[in-house]
Amino acid sequence: MDPISRPAIVIDNGTGYTKMGFAGNVEPCFVQPTVVAVNDSFVNQPRSAVKNNNWLAQHSAGVMADLDFFIGDEGISRSRSSNAYNLSYPIKYGQVENWDAMERYWQQCIFNYLRCDPEDHYFLLTESPLTAPESREYTGEIMFETFNVPGLYIAVQPVLALAAGYTTSKCEMTGVVVDVGEGATHVVPVADGYVIGSSIRSIPLSGKDVTLFIQQLMRERGEHIPPEDSLDVARKVKESYCYTCSDIVKEYKKHDKEPAKYIKQWRGIKPKTGAPYTCDVGYERFLGPEIFFSPEIYSGELTSSLPEVIDKCIQSTPIDTRRALYKNIVLSGGSTMFKDFHRRLQRDVKKLVDARVLASDALGIGGIKAKPVEVNVVSHPIQRCAVWFGGSVLASTPEFFQACHTKAEYEEHGASICRTNPVFKGMYLYR
Amino acid sequence: MVYHSSFVNEEGVTKACGCPLLPLKSHIKGPAPVYDNDGTDVVDEAITFFRANVFFRNFDIQSSADKLLIYLTFYINVALKKLEGCRTLAEGTKAIINLGLEEVPVPGESGFPFPGLFVLPKGQEEAELFRNYLKQIREETSGRLLSVAYRSNGTPNKWWLAFAKRKFMNIIAL
Repeated sequence: MDPISRPAIVIDNGTGYTKMGFAGNVEPCFVQPTVVAVNDSFVNQPRSAVKNNNWLAQHSAGVMADLDFFIGDEGISRSRSSNAYNLSYPIKYGQVENWDAMERYWQQCIFNYLRCDPEDHYFLLTESPLTAPESREYTGEIMFETFNVPGLYIAVQPVLALAAGYTTSKCEMTGVVVDVGEGATHVVPVADGYVIGSSIRSIPLSGKDVTLFIQQLMRERGEHIPPEDSLDVARKVKESYCYTCSDIVKEYKKHDKEPAKYIKQWRGIKPKTGAPYTCDVGYERFLGPEIFFSPEIYSGELTSSLPEVIDKCIQSTPIDTRRALYKNIVLSGGSTMFKDFHRRLQRDVKKLVDARVLASDALGIGGIKAKPVEVNVVSHPIQRCAVWFGGSVLASTPEFFQACHTKAEYEEHGASICRTNPVFKGMYLYR
Repeated sequence: MVYHSSFVNEEGVTKACGCPLLPLKSHIKGPAPVYDNDGTDVVDEAITFFRANVFFRNFDIQSSADKLLIYLTFYINVALKKLEGCRTLAEGTKAIINLGLEEVPVPGESGFPFPGLFVLPKGQEEAELFRNYLKQIREETSGRLLSVAYRSNGTPNKWWLAFAKRKFMNIIAL
């Protein structure tokens, strides 16, 4: 019954998807959309409006009524098949908005999916940077009171993303994490494991916007997609066919020259009639990811591209960390999985940096020429679940259990202990 | 980032309203000088860059040739809007001819889409010269546009006509 001898549970709750699993594994056991489908038909009926026989049904379902909900893919398919279930998204833009739904989500995760006893395992949860400390308190309260966990650690997602890049020889705790998720995009500089809070930049573009843009383009072209499915189709097209190009006009020319090679077909089935349909997928393949580099094509109010934001972010950090930060720009999040995204990002950031170095050399102060700045964008195959993987790595070190907040501490001091979580070096000890 | 014109060299090119009257590979009569090279002229540039530039709402001007590029991009947008309902090349050609018969405003007149972009013409002569140049370049652009917007068998090419719904620089093409 010793929780320390069992693997910790790592749950990474994102706006779009939640990754959950046990520490020590290479990939999460489950990746489910962060959505709860609740059966509303019994919950909100006022007593006076309910007839006799319905009251009995409600009473008998009453005990089980609040257990009647589904999460993730199952929730989505239930809400499609029956009108009784309403979808609710507890996390918006990286922050938990609906704590009730979040609690239910965790309940299903632990008992239905991971099928473990929360009293036997330490927990590692994640949060977005710049989350209010109150939200950590609520999380701690839910975990310790409802689930009775022995220990809890709430990690910041970018630090875990850096930990995902650990190898046996190198533990780089300094770098800029570019986390492009479904709800929010953050550029977070981390120096020696500590997040430089004042330099965090976020842009309002994310995976959801790429999906909406692709949906808009396909609609303008008049592709025959049933309207209730169009967002879903756009999302699947984005995940299967999109790639990053180096130059839009050259890509158009390539598409014109060899349409058979570049234009793909999407096959789907109409939900109402069951008839199959196909549609063409062409320019949106490279225009979708292009919004990160030229946000104006999607919305007129956004003018700073992702490379510019990264550059500004690093320029606002303390001057002695800048070279190290440029050398280690780490990508994380599902929306960085587009083919060649890291190469385009590296090329664009390097262009900005080189222009600045050139301008300062041209000033020719003292005849000193600056050493060229090395720009390196790191990407690895587990990018989509980089945060989860980093959590798994950190939670499998023995130091993790000492860094967690325990139930005893919670009972003694209250939920406010969860407001701070100490950074620990983790694998450094193994050198 | 928008794509800019490569015709930055303005030596020996007549100007009207602050805009160089660049040579065109055109058989249509008009004030434009004949283009003797075998490369791309400004109309080819406008068509090539259209599908990229149409998405943008801000355009930073690097040379006066860019002004012409902006005008042509807007004109292609207008032309595509007119082609929206036409199912065949013949119908499309008719619609474009109708567009060409409309009044061509010059800078300073009320119908001109970009007030403030071009310098106002100094006199009636310069205004007429510019008007004829615009007429010629519009006709030339329409011809080349029809060849890309319609496939070889006369049916509309949806990949081009989709851009009719886009609004270049947020200006509604009437």
